[in-house]
Amino acid sequence: MNIQAKPVGASGLRTKWSDGRLLHIHIAPAAAYEMEELAEANLIAGRGIEGDRYFLGTGTYSPKPDAREVTLFEMEVLDALARNDPPLQASPIKLEPEDHRRNLTVAGVPLDHLVGKRFRVGDTILVGGRLNFPCKYLEELLGMPVYLPLYNRSGLNCRIEKGGVIRRGDKIEPLDDR
Amino acid sequence: MTARLIMKMAVAEVRPVTDTVTVYRFEHPRRPHLPAFNPGAHVDVHLPDGKVRQYSLCGDPDNDTAYEIAVKREDEGRGASRWLHENLRVGSVIPVSAPRNNFPLADGARRHVFIAGGIGITPILAMVTHLARRDLPFELHFCARSARTAPFAASLKHLCGPERLFAYFSDSSSQAAARLDVAEILSKVEPGTHVYCCGPQRLTETVRAAAVHWPEGSVHFEVFKPTLDENFNPEPFDVKLASTGEVLRIPANKSALEVLRGHGIALPASCELGLCGSCACGYREGVVIHRDSVLDLTARQNQMMLCVSRARVSVTLDI
Repeated sequence: MNIQAKPVGASGLRTKWSDGRLLHIHIAPAAAYEMEELAEANLIAGRGIEGDRYFLGTGTYSPKPDAREVTLFEMEVLDALARNDPPLQASPIKLEPEDHRRNLTVAGVPLDHLVGKRFRVGDTILVGGRLNFPCKYLEELLGMPVYLPLYNRSGLNCRIEKGGVIRRGDKIEPLDDR
Repeated sequence: MTARLIMKMAVAEVRPVTDTVTVYRFEHPRRPHLPAFNPGAHVDVHLPDGKVRQYSLCGDPDNDTAYEIAVKREDEGRGASRWLHENLRVGSVIPVSAPRNNFPLADGARRHVFIAGGIGITPILAMVTHLARRDLPFELHFCARSARTAPFAASLKHLCGPERLFAYFSDSSSQAAARLDVAEILSKVEPGTHVYCCGPQRLTETVRAAAVHWPEGSVHFEVFKPTLDENFNPEPFDVKLASTGEVLRIPANKSALEVLRGHGIALPASCELGLCGSCACGYREGVVIHRDSVLDLTARQNQMMLCVSRARVSVTLDI
């Protein structure tokens, strides 16, 4: 069956990209703990990243049910913050990939367009849940005013449809929706 | 309540300073620079059994590469100091929070008077280190059982000099015969002077009583209460009573103990801080978020402290 040709949504447009990459993998054992970088990680379908707070049920938002098995963040947003674009604050904000507290830092992937869409990270398959919303809690942890600068670009919360091992450098590719 | 980052820090140095007090220096395995702190700040140290304890930072506030705490081993205490003494070695890794300061030097003070007792010297050591370096006016009254048990006695002497350090030792063999006379020190209110006290309860009570005529906000105390994790966000949950099947909703801003009490269920309770153990209650069917400092891991399997502990979604209590 040629699902390539199957249009998605009323507009008939599909979200496509070609150079998506996984740059960093971070987990934290519990709420407020510093994120730790991994070279590879094991995704468990329906649960999360082995060792991460939302896999273990020890996250700040664990008691609030949501598709939060794995969270993604765009490297492009960190770049934009570093050049104060748009100029929302007095000076640029230098955030490291471990600072934003999402699990996967990606490049070349339009996360805002992936709500409800399936896509591949290495051999695994993720499904976009809801767009992540910046929280004051992150501001407190970092001691930096990031709430407003992250508005509308705070990443994507995902569900894991197909688990497996992901590695730094893995390709991230669109899948056609069923 | 501000959330603070918890960092897994490595013990870089273990340095006994008296028979019972040991200094631990923590460094970060990956960050050469740590979140900065002001004199008087403390960190939370997270123990493997879930206990969280606050310790004042006693190191140099101008050094952002390490945090130092001094821990007095209290064998009669609640177990944390003993655990640290028995388990922390150079290279040990332990979660430590970014600093917070409830005991800062007052802005705009013209002079600072410190009154410290025993291990209560720890935040004040950082404060006098800061002031001495900047040649700002202060005096330190430091009492301890004996010169031998007084932590940091030698460094304080060096740091403060005889004109700013007044040491009082209660053992008779000590040459410093003078007794600390708090009432005398605080008899005259000096405008622009701030007073800081940290030490055993008897000392803080004495200072409080002797300072009643001082202007509000000019006398400061560092009192460590058993800490509840400041990063904890309470959520509402349901409590089911096993005997009647009745379900009570516990809102985020109330404890199970309070709600049960409000429903006429009288339960023994005392400190209501998760310390005394009076309100322990059996439970079944539920994921409990234990936040007390008394129950050990085995007891936590079927008991919870209703004053501070909560549950995910719901829990059935043996009531």
